[in-house]
Amino acid sequence: MELGKEKGTAAAHKQTLSPNTVTKTMNKSPIKTKKKKKDLEDLKKEADVNDHKLTLDELSAKYSVDLIKGHSLKTAQEILLLHGPNALTPPPTTPEWVKFCKQMFGGFSLLLWTGSILCFLAYGIHVHHSGKAQKDNLYLGFVLAAVVIITGCFSYYQESKSSKIMESFKTMVPQKAMVIRDGEKMQIDVKEVVLGDLVEVKGGDQIPADIRIIAAQGCKVDNSSLTGESEPQSRCPDCTHENPLETRNIIFFSTNCVEGTARGIVIATGDFTVMGRIASLTSGLSMGQTPIATEIAHFIHIITDVAVFLGVIFFFLSLILGYTWLDAVIFLIGIIVANVPEGLLATVTVCLTLTAKRMARKNCLVKNLEAVETLGSTSTICSDKTGTLTQNRMTVAHLWFDKTVYEADTSEEQNTGKTFPKSSDTWFYLARIAGLCNRADFKPHQESVPITKRTTTGDASESALLKFIEQSYSPVDEMRQKNPKVAEIPFNSTNKYQMSIHLLEDNSQTHVLLMKGAPERILDFCSSFMLNGQEYPMNEEMRRDFQNAYLELGGLGERVLGFCFLNLPSSFSKGFEFNTEELNFPMENLCFTGLISMIDPPRTAVPDAVSKCRSAGIKVIMVTGDHPITARAIAQSVGIISEGSDIAEGATSHHMPIGQVTSKSVKSIVVHGSELKNMDSEELDYILKTYKEIVFARTSPQQKLIIVEGCQRLGAIVAVTGDGVNDSPALKKADIGIAMGITGSDVSKQAADMILLDDNFASIVTGVEEGRLIFDNLKKSIAYTLTSNIPEITPFLLFIVLSIPLPLGTITILCIDLGTDMIPAISLAYETPESDIMRRLPRNPKTDNLVNHRLIGMAYGQIGMIQAVAGFFTYFVILAENGFKPLDLLGIRLFWEDGSLNDLEDSYGQEWTYEQRKVVEFTCQTAFFISIVIVQWADLIICKTRRNSLFKQGMKNKILLFGICEETLLAAFLSYVPGMDVSLRMYPLKINWWLCAIPYSVLIFIYDELRKLIIRRRPGGWLEKETYY
Amino acid sequence: MTKTEKKSFHQSLAEWKRFVYNPASGEFLGRTSKSWGLILLFYLVFYGFLAALFSFTMWVMLQTLNDEVPKYRDQIPSPGLMVFPKPLTALEYTYSMSEPSTYKHFIEDLTQFLKPYSVDEQKNLTNCPDGALFEQKGPNYNACQFPVSLLQECSGVHDADFGYSKGQPCVLVKMNRIIELIPKGLPQIICETKDTNVANISTYPDDGVIDLKYFPYYGKKRHVGYRQPLVAVQVIFDSSATKKEVTVECKIEGTENLKNKDERDKFLGRVMFKVTARA
Repeated sequence: MELGKEKGTAAAHKQTLSPNTVTKTMNKSPIKTKKKKKDLEDLKKEADVNDHKLTLDELSAKYSVDLIKGHSLKTAQEILLLHGPNALTPPPTTPEWVKFCKQMFGGFSLLLWTGSILCFLAYGIHVHHSGKAQKDNLYLGFVLAAVVIITGCFSYYQESKSSKIMESFKTMVPQKAMVIRDGEKMQIDVKEVVLGDLVEVKGGDQIPADIRIIAAQGCKVDNSSLTGESEPQSRCPDCTHENPLETRNIIFFSTNCVEGTARGIVIATGDFTVMGRIASLTSGLSMGQTPIATEIAHFIHIITDVAVFLGVIFFFLSLILGYTWLDAVIFLIGIIVANVPEGLLATVTVCLTLTAKRMARKNCLVKNLEAVETLGSTSTICSDKTGTLTQNRMTVAHLWFDKTVYEADTSEEQNTGKTFPKSSDTWFYLARIAGLCNRADFKPHQESVPITKRTTTGDASESALLKFIEQSYSPVDEMRQKNPKVAEIPFNSTNKYQMSIHLLEDNSQTHVLLMKGAPERILDFCSSFMLNGQEYPMNEEMRRDFQNAYLELGGLGERVLGFCFLNLPSSFSKGFEFNTEELNFPMENLCFTGLISMIDPPRTAVPDAVSKCRSAGIKVIMVTGDHPITARAIAQSVGIISEGSDIAEGATSHHMPIGQVTSKSVKSIVVHGSELKNMDSEELDYILKTYKEIVFARTSPQQKLIIVEGCQRLGAIVAVTGDGVNDSPALKKADIGIAMGITGSDVSKQAADMILLDDNFASIVTGVEEGRLIFDNLKKSIAYTLTSNIPEITPFLLFIVLSIPLPLGTITILCIDLGTDMIPAISLAYETPESDIMRRLPRNPKTDNLVNHRLIGMAYGQIGMIQAVAGFFTYFVILAENGFKPLDLLGIRLFWEDGSLNDLEDSYGQEWTYEQRKVVEFTCQTAFFISIVIVQWADLIICKTRRNSLFKQGMKNKILLFGICEETLLAAFLSYVPGMDVSLRMYPLKINWWLCAIPYSVLIFIYDELRKLIIRRRPGGWLEKETYY
Repeated sequence: MTKTEKKSFHQSLAEWKRFVYNPASGEFLGRTSKSWGLILLFYLVFYGFLAALFSFTMWVMLQTLNDEVPKYRDQIPSPGLMVFPKPLTALEYTYSMSEPSTYKHFIEDLTQFLKPYSVDEQKNLTNCPDGALFEQKGPNYNACQFPVSLLQECSGVHDADFGYSKGQPCVLVKMNRIIELIPKGLPQIICETKDTNVANISTYPDDGVIDLKYFPYYGKKRHVGYRQPLVAVQVIFDSSATKKEVTVECKIEGTENLKNKDERDKFLGRVMFKVTARA
């Protein structure tokens, strides 16, 4: 609660935050006794580290460590003892028994437990006051308890099954780290790394802690799991940015070093690393209720209201009718308990489980059963970009040569058929440069793997080029063998180019110099350009064209590389010793060949999925740590920002005072993280409300959280997708967090409610569809189950009021609720949607409830009443045909129930013993039960649809047909199998007693078809307002 | 999170008040008067129709019934046995011989019950031949006389107290009426007690015989004036016995179709009762 209130002002606080407060708390020895709430507030603030600004001497002094020899073994040991191991505190896992208890005592179960306890209470009162008592209440109490326990165990089992799948994701390989202590290099476990340790990392390592770099050679790190940037970042000892997350001289715990080596001082370990803070921020967040849990709570509320209302009314009524206090209390309890839909808990659980299974088959693994429906209610999806919307691998997207931009095939399956003139000679040169001047290589033994899926060594862009050439030109290996490399200058951030010299294959005497790099740098080297295989001297027109192309491709958010070459003169023929340090060869007047641009392309299925979400009324917001331009380009290409719409840059819009109307045509906005940082919650709300298409770029994990909270504040049900650690707080906070199964980090999977096993955003659409369907079908299922509550309660009510023999007993009620109604109710979960559920808006969680008064009105007030009348008709028929005419039954209860009265006279003058009339009574109860089964046929059929006619929906649901047969056979079984009279007190019926309810069954069907017809004919009419549930 | 936020008491009270009556929209319990009117009208029509349909189906069903004989009689193939007068709770006759108020109601019940059996009341009934079934074809059905004198000591003629004051209380045993039931054999009601040292049992008519002429019974409508055959049981306590308490069990014997050993129905063809007479 506290937390929620403070969240709103969190953004406002940020501005006034003194920069050192967090640093202090971080660098002081960790005091574990601090209040958790305070910690959480700290965590929500941006990471504030100043180590990157210190000089090496200051650093050495601060951590009292020798920058060459490292800690002494002894000091390291002491620090380890003081600060604890360098490991994340695992999130407080809920103990198994607590999980079990949650299943046992949560929500719906509580209702049944209350019912059960009331039953025992009623039995107790009975026994206490009259010595002997009917055991019915006792049995009912036990059955209710059993139902809760069995369904509780079932759903516990289901959830533990999916959490087992979760555990299989975890890789338990202990990581090692290279530290220098006492001047010696040593391999130690990552968890033994301490603050101030001198650490060495090299390409392929996972970073063991947050490290301030003091020396680096070509070091690049992949920060994508932390910041969402898809490209590896180079790292060096210089402080390049105020923000510790952006400066180049800090590398972060649990990110990966892609290439190069680096040496640095550990500035934070374990939970105090940036990653650790995010992880603990995640575990500190409390999750709200799932929408379905809210709905069930609302449902229980309604049911309880109805039960208590009826109970109290009849309590006073029975007092007025002259029953004793004791009787009245027992009636009160009886009525309340009779209102409990015993089978519904199991039905709902099974329905959710079925959907969860269906979704798992479609690659959505649901961790929490209740989350199954959440996607269906989702109105906003905040999606991470990298790895979710995109493929998370660089791919060549465009080529520019012969003064033309060509599009390359970026789809995962390589089946879009996009092509370019491969016959052009320029393409030959371009491909040669891209293939040869390239240090990336395929890892061995991947011949059977499709080219795009092969793993490579080396930089992402080079790998992209390698794959592209392999795919669309010729095997690169072969090319490299034919043109052996004789010299090379690798890429570095100051040169911004890469050069290599190769022997030419056709003329093995001459060398060719190939170069690629930043386009503007490349152009500087060139004095000529190639057009259709011919060299032309560089001119202004070409420069202009180049500029345009470069801007165009850059504007698409793509990384552009320029390519050029130079055929070295014969003086540098075979055998010449090239010296790349002294540059004893010409490296000017090269010939410009073209540009190739690369991007992490969107997944093929994403644009379609996004547009489906759109038409389903779901707002898709992109929240990424990546650069605004890239983010925007991807957003446009997947349709998050629709084509041709004006895009407001956040910077201009938010300076406008709130309330001032921005141009109506502007519905899209790209908001930069630094702007978001300065916004208060009102401004954020304004942006979220005003713009239809929103992209947040350069966001920190904390900001993701703030965005999610903003959406929730506006009443949206928010789904968050993400794979990185940086996404996990938002995943946890979201109504439904969706993590990626393949690329997702463990922390994100732990925080999520659902996992996309194929990492495909499109699976979310399936999830939404299934979620919406199960919501509709649960409504139908509940409507079906609740209806039979009325024919179950009214017998007891009339038993009290009219003093007639009890028309329906506890056992028969249980036979309906836990027997015949069960499978038909579940079968409604298999019902196909009535209309295109992806073409309507998400439900409004405030007004569109699972169970509303219209559903109750329909189930209790209309269909239930018809059913009750059907039951009573059957009951009166049987009694009348056996000699007790309806009018003679009124007020007969006291005599009927008197066990010592064995000559009760019927309407014909015959006399009945207690046992004889009880057999008739139980036969009536059996018949009442069977009548309910028969009217439930019709109820099941009408519950198939809420608006459409049955004739449109059809009877294709095989499970439902099976359900009808099953309930009928079960009813016949209970009635006719010998021994049932002794065990359940159910008696065989004459065939014509089965028929009594049929007219009512037909009536239910006709009534509801008529009702639905009117609803369809008069949309928005009175009948729809009052009866469409 | 805001959902779980607790509202202050005043707020929720105000909300309640607004729910009960909202002066702004004129809503009473969440509906305007027009809305209430429509929904009530809807349910009025709906239930009206339902009631009409129910009445109609009931009427049709009642039309199929025969006024004279119930459609099915298979639920009572064999008659039960019952005692008269019926004590308030269980079948235990407890009274004190010295206090007439403790047995007064038994005597009143018996007197009342036997009134139709008086000679005066039965003079319009047929004097049927003994020992044979009195089968009739209608359309008029006659009832046979059951002279109260058959009950001898328990007829109330000689002893208006039915023996209660003397420690020899009378209890009537009767076989339940079942339409067109025909006993195969000669039914008699045999009453026994295990406590023979405490009391002796006498049955009237002698040997508890029920004459076949009272069968078959043709039902309340046709068989007007039918007198159910009775057997009186007199418990004659041994005056020297200190504890005057016996349990008596009566059974229908002598027929092959009237059951008396049903496990579940303790009153099918048999009845057990307890008589306690205090001084």
